[in-house]
Amino acid sequence: MNFTSHRRHPLARPAAAASLALAVALTAAGCAKSEDDADGAAKPSATGADADAGQKVAAPKPGGKGCTLAAYGGDTLDLKGATVGFSQSEKEANPFRIAETRSIKDEAAKRGVKLLTANAQSQFSKQISDVQDLLAKGADVLVIAPLNSDGWEPVLRAAAARKVPIVTIDRQINADPCKDYVSFIASDFVEQGKRAADQMIEATGGKGKVAILLGAAGNNVTTERTKGFKDRIAEKAPELEIVFEQTGDFAREKGQQVTEQLIQSQPGINGVYAENDEMGLGAVGALKGAGKKPGDVKIITIDGTRNAVQGVVDGWIQGVIESNPRFGPLAFRTLDAFTRGEEVPQEIVIEDGAYDADNAEQDLGRAY
Amino acid sequence: MTGIAVRPAAPDRARIGHWLQRYGVYAGVGLLLVVNTALTPHFLSVENFRTQAVQVAPVLIVALGMALAIGTEGVDLSVGAVMALSASVTALYLGYGLPGALLVVALFAAAVGLANGALVALVGVQPIVATLALMVGGRGLAQVLLPQLEDIRNPAMASLGSGDLLGVPYLILIAAGLVLLVAFAVRRTTFGRQLLAIGDNRTAAQLAGLPVKRVLMVVYVCSALLAAVAGVLATARLQASDPTSLGNLMELSAITAVVVGGTPLSGGQVRIAGTVAGAVLIQLLTATLIKHDLPPSWTQMAQAAVIVLAVYAARGRGRR
Amino acid sequence: MAAPPAREPCPAPSAGDTPPAEVLALRGLTRTFPGVRALDGVSLSLRAGEVRALVGENGAGKSTLIKVLTGVYRPDAGSIELHGEPVRFGTPLEAQHAGISTIYQEVNLIPLMSVARNLFLGREPRNRLGLIDFGRMHREAAGTLSGYGVRADVRRPLRSLGVGAQQMVALARAVSVDARVVVMDEPTSSLEPREVETLFGVVRGLRERGIAVVYVSHRLDELYELCDTVTVLRDGRLVHDGPLAGLDRLSLVAAMLGRELGEVRRKGTTEFSGSHQAAEGEPVLKAEDLTVPHKLHGVSLSIRPGEVVGLGGLLGSGRTETAKAVAGALAPGSGTVAVAGVPLRTGSTPAAIRAGISLLPEDRKSEGIVPGLSVRENIALAALPRLSRLGLVSEARIDSVVETFMRRLRIKASDPHQKVGELSGGNQQKVLLARWLAMNPKVLLLDEPTRGIDVGAKAEVQKLVDELAEDGLGVLLISSDLEELIEGSDRVVVLKDGAVVGELTGDEVTEDLLMRTIAGGAEPALPGGTAPGGEVAGR
Repeated sequence: MNFTSHRRHPLARPAAAASLALAVALTAAGCAKSEDDADGAAKPSATGADADAGQKVAAPKPGGKGCTLAAYGGDTLDLKGATVGFSQSEKEANPFRIAETRSIKDEAAKRGVKLLTANAQSQFSKQISDVQDLLAKGADVLVIAPLNSDGWEPVLRAAAARKVPIVTIDRQINADPCKDYVSFIASDFVEQGKRAADQMIEATGGKGKVAILLGAAGNNVTTERTKGFKDRIAEKAPELEIVFEQTGDFAREKGQQVTEQLIQSQPGINGVYAENDEMGLGAVGALKGAGKKPGDVKIITIDGTRNAVQGVVDGWIQGVIESNPRFGPLAFRTLDAFTRGEEVPQEIVIEDGAYDADNAEQDLGRAY
Repeated sequence: MTGIAVRPAAPDRARIGHWLQRYGVYAGVGLLLVVNTALTPHFLSVENFRTQAVQVAPVLIVALGMALAIGTEGVDLSVGAVMALSASVTALYLGYGLPGALLVVALFAAAVGLANGALVALVGVQPIVATLALMVGGRGLAQVLLPQLEDIRNPAMASLGSGDLLGVPYLILIAAGLVLLVAFAVRRTTFGRQLLAIGDNRTAAQLAGLPVKRVLMVVYVCSALLAAVAGVLATARLQASDPTSLGNLMELSAITAVVVGGTPLSGGQVRIAGTVAGAVLIQLLTATLIKHDLPPSWTQMAQAAVIVLAVYAARGRGRR
Repeated sequence: MAAPPAREPCPAPSAGDTPPAEVLALRGLTRTFPGVRALDGVSLSLRAGEVRALVGENGAGKSTLIKVLTGVYRPDAGSIELHGEPVRFGTPLEAQHAGISTIYQEVNLIPLMSVARNLFLGREPRNRLGLIDFGRMHREAAGTLSGYGVRADVRRPLRSLGVGAQQMVALARAVSVDARVVVMDEPTSSLEPREVETLFGVVRGLRERGIAVVYVSHRLDELYELCDTVTVLRDGRLVHDGPLAGLDRLSLVAAMLGRELGEVRRKGTTEFSGSHQAAEGEPVLKAEDLTVPHKLHGVSLSIRPGEVVGLGGLLGSGRTETAKAVAGALAPGSGTVAVAGVPLRTGSTPAAIRAGISLLPEDRKSEGIVPGLSVRENIALAALPRLSRLGLVSEARIDSVVETFMRRLRIKASDPHQKVGELSGGNQQKVLLARWLAMNPKVLLLDEPTRGIDVGAKAEVQKLVDELAEDGLGVLLISSDLEELIEGSDRVVVLKDGAVVGELTGDEVTEDLLMRTIAGGAEPALPGGTAPGGEVAGR
């Protein structure tokens, strides 16, 4: 699973003049850059206390398997005196990554653990060497936010040789749990889509026409948030008709442009479901430009960035489903329990919050 | 091959290609207008045309500079990066007021343009390579200056992005003004004539004593400045500075507009009216497919088809 | 120059009573372009072993005829018969497969591939594994090419060969693909005299093998030396068709020009008046000790106002490089250039132009014209800054300059807005001259000003050079045409291997002396004009 590479597929943008020969060269360069950005907005505001507030206890998947030190192999260890290596995949250029790294760092500081960090700057080869570096520098446990799911064999071999437990966050790697790594912690994007649908049903009264601003094509986040939303609408509010599905590429400008076309051709639209906050904010811009008033068209978004939650406070956005980036406490708690010899789940779903008119104002500080 | 008597030839494919290259883009725009009028609800409305014009304005402004670069048998891949850079710089220097910020933006853009021009004209690097360097480096710098999206709350910028004069948005007025300015420069100035000569036959232009290096420098500076204007306008419209995604793939959209508009990649010609029509064609095509909620992949395929046609037309011209 | 070389009547290739079979017959070919009827009912027949000259002024329809014959264009009307069968070629490849090969002025092979690969491209010898048998290919290539006088390492890239040798490779390739008809479009225009001789040997070899040749050239001597029959085109129509032996030069020229015989005879073969009033006094141009590594070794020359100085020498002797170094297009390692006593910065074209030096480059297409721009824009190109105010072009001033020079130089264009690329070579050359005259130059450097242009335009350009000298310009004339050089110049400076080896003035300016000087002075003068192929500079 991948939260952050929303914009991994620049060719998917319709603007691509792909048949020109130079497109190939451009795309190569475009790829390297565009992975850096995800849905970004707002300044990093999460203080340590805020981060802790956003932390929800792990909800083990019902019937999910566990993992123990005995099964994994290795010796017990007191996390307090240990060295933790953290490998971040992309540079901290969007709120999600900023909050994620900060959360890890804050938790390490809080627990008095020595933390080594590295950032792969969206280059997978760099991430591999980063992790090997962390191992060489003496990391006893590893927290990895993987850029890719595949290609981890060399690192896993090196870690296994040193019996170093690994926890991956926000994206799974293709390997055997409790053998190659201990556990995987992330949000459930399908569930986020379902919760967004619930809010949309509530905001519209379960009737009318809604549009979906899709994320970047070919991205699992897009696929899963779409599936969750559609399934829940079909199940609970068959009178809510999805009349429009166009990609906004997880970007504010694209979200604005697509929404402008939408409200020109379908003035009677009742709701817009944006698969991230940025596109939702773009939709708000389009509505303002068209002279609409807050609430004329209901907007539901996912992520929980500061700007979007402010939008809820201002009345332009009716609901925001959080995608929690604060993996620090959960990751450390899992590693702590594991290294002390307790059983931990192989797959942990981080609990995401939600914002609506009732709590947005008071929880604004929790938004990242 | 044998046994067939010579018959009067069918109309030349070359001639069809030539016609397509010259007028195809206008025919395409006309066709889309007719189709949309017939099939798209609420298409024939002032608001709709305003929306399309506002959306196309930044692409069009960038395409003007691109047309100049292509006219010299070059290309400027750094335009998207310059847009991002101008977005960053705008956000950073708005504290000094809009005019101050614009001044700094212009300085940054001119520096990028000069660097491009120097690499192309003085060092002799292929334009595609020279500007590729700044395409990557420029966006990098933009992100260093402003690591993440920042909202802009400045009344002057807000009015620039969404204000209007007698009902015509500033964006459209500015784009129209720049179209006229560039068209004038191409048609009526020594610079324009020299640019075309250099694009058509650089050796001959050099031997005729034309200031080849200076003209190339000016072309890339113009391209960068136009991209910067587009970047500021897009930022004003978005009410946010987004250096990571603003102008992404803009270079391709601009090249597409220019080529579809009938300007050959081989240089020596600059079709400003065609470039305007090319940008409008792509905009209408995208709008049509979005309004009818067709899968986004269709938009790409439709654009690919348009480009193939444009390239086919350009090839027909080469066969004369 | 000398009378046409006496040539024996060509023996029928297959000596016998029956004439050789007709290989190719073109009947009533017509091809129209917008506004122009480039070919108008032209017929032509070619027998095995026949070498047919195809001549005509520029715009006569030669290149259109060749393009129709080789499948580049389709004719609007008329038919082509090959071995008595009607054929129709959709592409050059089809024509080639049918046995019609063409060698163009510009070599169109692949410069970066080896000589041998170029020769065998598409039909490389294969070994049992189906891979290219390089050993055999290289052996065979070397063997084939030695028959064409090319002795080079066939494994090296083609571009490492000289232009002449490349042309031989092209020819060898064309012939080796089982050609029945070989079309040669100005094959000698970039060859050295020795290479020309080799080429002639090859063409004679083709004749003996029964291959028919269509030979296009502006050099009349070559035609008389090589060809059996001649087809003369003018304005897209066939104006003469017959054996060449019975046709004297003047009649041939008259047919091409469509003029009366007497008129041509009276005027002689060039339009030059002879000597000019070579002005006394300070030279308008003084170049001293120009040195360019590997190209020029201390070349000095001076030109007085009103003087035409010829620059003689073989291909590669440094004539073009000298002109370019003077005009700032080539940066000399050392040396000075001064105009009217004022030294100028070398290696800068704008500086040279500002000082009053104008260069009409040798390669009109790639260095002279801007083909996509109009006649008008081309003429105004160099003078643009003078025809503008504050960077804005003054259309009125341009119009007046363009009108003046189009009339004065008698430039034939449908209107000033016609693209230069669409004009004939002669008119393109006049446009370039007009471009420079609009600058009011003091010195005019003319590098092969009449190469590849038709006889009429050639005469006009020559006359113009005379007039300009009389107006007080200093002119440097480079020409491979000895006659033009001798009749046109007051003085001839002779270059060899990048250095001045002699200078002829006044009565010394004769063909005999010029050739002696070119040959190095030590050797006795060739009996110019009496033996075919004796003309060194290859006309």
